[in-house]
Amino acid sequence: MAVSPPVTAPTREKEPDTFDEVTPEGPWDVIVWDDPVNLMSYVVYVFRKVFGFPEPVARKLMMDVHTKGKALVASEPRESAEMHVHQLHAHGLQATMQRSR
Amino acid sequence: MTGPFARHGASVRMQLDDTEVALLRDLQVGLRALLAEPDPDDPVVQRLFPACIVGDDAADEELRRFLYGDLLASRIEGLDAIVAYLDRGSGHRGQLTVDLDEEEAATVLGVLNDVRLTLGVRVGIEHIDRDDLDDDHPAVPTLAVMDHLGWLQENLLAVLDPPSVA
Repeated sequence: MAVSPPVTAPTREKEPDTFDEVTPEGPWDVIVWDDPVNLMSYVVYVFRKVFGFPEPVARKLMMDVHTKGKALVASEPRESAEMHVHQLHAHGLQATMQRSR
Repeated sequence: MTGPFARHGASVRMQLDDTEVALLRDLQVGLRALLAEPDPDDPVVQRLFPACIVGDDAADEELRRFLYGDLLASRIEGLDAIVAYLDRGSGHRGQLTVDLDEEEAATVLGVLNDVRLTLGVRVGIEHIDRDDLDDDHPAVPTLAVMDHLGWLQENLLAVLDPPSVA
């Protein structure tokens, strides 16, 4: 479909001078921390349910939490990270988010 | 003798002893009382509504406040649901049978977990070494209850999401 070209092309008021200004909000990391109560199988179940991970992925992340004390489970836009932290807390997991480094 | 949870047609059939039913009713009352007036300084409240954001206290405070209402409401809804499931069950010879759909079964799983988390904080599980615990340690009875509820969780997971217990 033909569209008549605009009379003047849109212009930026100011050219960005740093990468940060192009992407003001970088990704956020969602971290799940170990705790002494949640069952290993339950954590696998929550990872499968909340993130839709296949069982081997969910189990590897659970083992990371169990053996290393924490695991990075997602790196994503802030809104998604907030939603996932919310869901993980609703399931009783200790999850935090932080800016990706 | 089947376990406490089994597939029954499209349902998950829960079969609990009267002692388990009494225990769940009792524990949900305790958690409900705590959630009726959550004390931010109570370690159980801190565990059920944990930190959200690392490295930015103001943002953490803001997000915690934002999520708090939903989290609290969903926890209380879970307790209401458990009571409703137990109330509608049919009892026979010291056992209660309740048929649950998938979502209801997931709700039971979550309430069992909330209750275990609560008991764990109360008993100071962070500071307990299970391998080096005297039989007369005051935590032993609570740990036994937690273990039993954990056993119920494992049994429910085996029915609800078999790969998770593989």
